Amino acid sequence: MKTAKIKIDKDLFDMSREYSLTAGYSSVEEFITHLLEKELKKNRKVPGIDEDMEKQLQGLGYIE
Amino acid sequence: MKSLFTKKTDQKNEDIIIVSGLPRSGTSMMMQMLEAGGLDIMTDGKRTADDNNLKGYYEFEKTRKIKNDISWIQDCGGKAVKIVSPLLYFLPEQNRYRIIFMERDMREIINSQNKMLERLNNAGSGLSDKEMILKNRNHIKDIKEWISARNNMDVIYINYNEVINSSLQKSKEINEFLENKLDTEKMSAVIDRTLYRQRAGAGTL
Repeated sequence: MKTAKIKIDKDLFDMSREYSLTAGYSSVEEFITHLLEKELKKNRKVPGIDEDMEKQLQGLGYIE
Repeated sequence: MKSLFTKKTDQKNEDIIIVSGLPRSGTSMMMQMLEAGGLDIMTDGKRTADDNNLKGYYEFEKTRKIKNDISWIQDCGGKAVKIVSPLLYFLPEQNRYRIIFMERDMREIINSQNKMLERLNNAGSGLSDKEMILKNRNHIKDIKEWISARNNMDVIYINYNEVINSSLQKSKEINEFLENKLDTEKMSAVIDRTLYRQRAGAGTL
């Protein structure tokens, strides 16, 4: 697996490391990776409707 | 027994109850069950019963304009409102939702949608049944992933066909999801097997 480094505030890093251990993560890297994956997954789908489904919904009377 | 739903928080009192799923997946039937069970529902009765929904649509007109105005959702706390699944993306983040998501054999859904379009004399997507089934399956996969990633949504997935065949058991599961506030006998009593008209055929869709 390729890796990369990022810089974050030292105090935030220390808090993250402390939290990651109490929360059961094996490392602060695992904790931050989990947070990033969760956030990216949440925002992957941009709210909106597929054009064909929109036409179907309009025909059925569920949307203007 | 494994829980049939996920519960993410203890904030329950004024959660908005959303009945969702694809059009023709049994959302109106579920609204009817909830109403019979004693839950307040959001409906304006503008779309009245017809050959497509003999017992009514249980719709709220403003959901049709959800893309442009969702302000009315603030009045739905503690009540049930029907919102078809492609429109769930428009729900605002600041509210908490309990979603009863109806699932049904996809061929039955498409057959029923086709008949409804025919009765309304309206055009749909213009896609073939196979294309619509594929598109709907992808949508269901996407919306489930999207819901699972929301911290403000709890969801229970209810199979339409199982409600028809085991209405009391399913009513109990739904009631548990809604914190045992409803009358399950009355919920179950509204199920009318004679309305189950779009059975899946043995086709290859």
